[in-house]
Amino acid sequence: MNPVKKYSNNIQPNWCPGCGHFSILRGIQVAADQLRIPNEQLVVASGIGCSGRLSGYMHSYSFHGIHGRILPFAQGVKLANKDLAVIAVGGDGDGFAIGTNHTLHAMRRNLNITYIVLNNQVYGLTKGHTSPLSEIGFVTKSTPAGAADLPLKPGIISLAAGVTYLAQSFSGDQDQMIDLIIKGIQHQGFSFINVFSPCITFNKTNTYQWYRENLKDIEEDKDYDVNNLQQAMSKLIETDGLCKGLIYQNTHVENPSQHTIKETSLAQQELNIPEEEFQYLMKQFQ
Amino acid sequence: MKDSLTIVIGGIQGEGIVSTGVDLIKILSRLGYYGFGSRRFSSRIKGGNTNIQVTISTRKITAVEDKIDIILALDKDTIACYREELKEDGIILYDNLLTIEETENAEALPMTEIAKRKGSPIMKTTAALAFLGKVLDIPSEILGNFLDNRFGHKGEKIQSDNMAVLEEALIYEEGIHERIRKSLASPMKKISRPVMIGNEAIALGALMAGCRFMAAYPITPASEIMEFLGAVFPKYGGSMLQVEDEIAAINMAMGAGYAGVRSMTATSGPGISLMTEGIGMAGMAEIPVVIVDCQRVGPSTGMPTKHEQSDLFTLYYGGHGDYPAIILTPSTVEECFEDTGRAFNLAEKYQCPVILVSDLMLSLSPQTIDPLDYEKIKIDRGSLLKEKDLESIVDGKYKRFTLTEEGISPRSIPGMKNGIHHVTNVEHTENGLPTEDSEIRKQMMEKRFRKMELLKKENTLKVIENDSDFLFIAIGSTFGVLKEAVEASGNKVDFGSIRMLKPLPAEELSCTFEKYKKIIVIENNFSQQLTAILKEKIGKSDKIEAFTKYDGTPFTITEIIEKIGGMEA
Repeated sequence: MNPVKKYSNNIQPNWCPGCGHFSILRGIQVAADQLRIPNEQLVVASGIGCSGRLSGYMHSYSFHGIHGRILPFAQGVKLANKDLAVIAVGGDGDGFAIGTNHTLHAMRRNLNITYIVLNNQVYGLTKGHTSPLSEIGFVTKSTPAGAADLPLKPGIISLAAGVTYLAQSFSGDQDQMIDLIIKGIQHQGFSFINVFSPCITFNKTNTYQWYRENLKDIEEDKDYDVNNLQQAMSKLIETDGLCKGLIYQNTHVENPSQHTIKETSLAQQELNIPEEEFQYLMKQFQ
Repeated sequence: MKDSLTIVIGGIQGEGIVSTGVDLIKILSRLGYYGFGSRRFSSRIKGGNTNIQVTISTRKITAVEDKIDIILALDKDTIACYREELKEDGIILYDNLLTIEETENAEALPMTEIAKRKGSPIMKTTAALAFLGKVLDIPSEILGNFLDNRFGHKGEKIQSDNMAVLEEALIYEEGIHERIRKSLASPMKKISRPVMIGNEAIALGALMAGCRFMAAYPITPASEIMEFLGAVFPKYGGSMLQVEDEIAAINMAMGAGYAGVRSMTATSGPGISLMTEGIGMAGMAEIPVVIVDCQRVGPSTGMPTKHEQSDLFTLYYGGHGDYPAIILTPSTVEECFEDTGRAFNLAEKYQCPVILVSDLMLSLSPQTIDPLDYEKIKIDRGSLLKEKDLESIVDGKYKRFTLTEEGISPRSIPGMKNGIHHVTNVEHTENGLPTEDSEIRKQMMEKRFRKMELLKKENTLKVIENDSDFLFIAIGSTFGVLKEAVEASGNKVDFGSIRMLKPLPAEELSCTFEKYKKIIVIENNFSQQLTAILKEKIGKSDKIEAFTKYDGTPFTITEIIEKIGGMEA
């Protein structure tokens, strides 16, 4: 079956024609297909905003939660049932404004889930407001004199938070994106994929054309070592974050939180505790 | 011979004062007595006075008595704070390193001195316990056995030093026994009973109810719940995570609940404020989750280690929008256990957030209880589907939010074939897809609230009748004080508690209230929150009146006795 059909629920997305998010939706569907993830074993969870709608177009278990909190929710799903493939998606506001705290802690918790940020450097669904990833001087309805605050650097702060898989991608380069999503899902730990996904309606600065001209492809650098943290940091500084490809992967981290994931999924645990065991527990209180 | 004795043990915070009080209750509970401890502490780790007031009785008690028989002081503040409360025949036992004004009823004892000589100064609480043992005629082998166990896991040296301190204190001056003796009447039955705090009963109730996931952020007075479950979960296949904040805690708990695990979080007022949006999502997206609120003084950081019952409005009226939620209000440790079990069943049956409300005194007061009843918790997973129930459904056609007569829609969980569906926290169709259709919005809103109708029929009021025209009502730990006050004043008024605040069984309450001239609601908050909710839902405004206290301390038995006296006059 066509991978898109297999993982699509046939709802027409309400994104603007030409929106970068279409490409990411397809990217997730193709990656799931190539990894042969059964539909019922896949959970796609999303936050609020244009990006948040993505989960509603998947033929899989899917969840659309409150703004900025999808990572805690997605981790809860994975902790409950380790056998599920869990993909969280959100926008740049979801992940790097309201939800920054959760993003950083999810990275250091390093549970085996994939987080894809649909990064258009603007708030689209509120009809064009600045984002913490907007460039200085970016004019929006809420920043008529241009954005005044420094943009966050998602790559660098992710490395600082201990992320074990960091990739950046571009809606206009689907082949690479699919490859990075597949590798991200396969990565044993938290994988973060920051996808530059142009908003054709409210961001006239960071357009498809602009990204094509400004994004450096790491894969073109033959000496680049994805396991080298220092090199990853240098690359991000050197390109001011405008690079795509697999930036960093650490496969050696003994995941400090993995022990909380049981061999048997919590959802399948025997819940009844025998009376003798209960009496033993009660004994501790005497 | 007395039927009950009240003892205050006080000293510097961080010296094991509270543990000594709890040890005393545990030791006496092994002999068949009942104990109840009330902690007073401040928001710091070391330094500053801390104390625990313990009442020991031959009968079951639910609050500490106000007047004190024995002050055991390891610092001067304890004596200054409690001298006024000492009964006429009361005694003060104090560490002889303290310089206090000598009085006839005060006895200097070498607690630190013995501890230093036989072990280390921190073991002065062991010496203190030994002296209390002399006062109360506790057999020395009982003390020895208890402490042997108590320090067993702390290493041989600590264990043997403590035993040496105990022995030395026990042989200290033969004659002292006659001077300071305070004998308790024999207990009715010489059986050993458990000692628990409300938070332990909540955690144990959760475990027995099949809860296998908890995410939480530490906060006084709720942390014991995460600590207990964190310790026992590995053995039973569960997980407890300390997460970055309460917002993460509620959302992670919901993620686990959505994926089919019975899950919970526990917090206090500040955490409830942060969780409120998430709780609304659990209502909207029909996710089972249990939230425990151990109330303390608010608003904002309030008085973190003091007692109040002022979260009722925020829990009852909740966050933005309309959504169903269930609020349970246990008022004893035993009810903490049972109602937590019930909370998980209700959460799955009604697919909504269930909030279990405690308060600082109920959550933290160590007390002797009758053994908890295993049979009280029976796991019922409501309309959770099994994979085979979905066999006949065409893939993609399962309706997660199907409109039913009772409003409850059978639920599939991720991993189940043919149960695939979308869930969104925006308004949605029966398939779970977003919609802005007015008719569907109306139907879905009615469906979610229809679920609560079934619950309104459940009996949740407990009333102890004494053939009076007055009914006193209290929830949480205040009920225990009320019970003691009514009994001490000769059972002159009826009294009771409400075990489920939301949905409030208004008809049942209205019927009961009909019989009374006055209903007096005793509560620890300024704006008469419980009273206001009752008046709003039941009417009878002229009959219902509030009796409030909002200084951060719980009601004393005397305060309520005086109120009862006032009603009769």
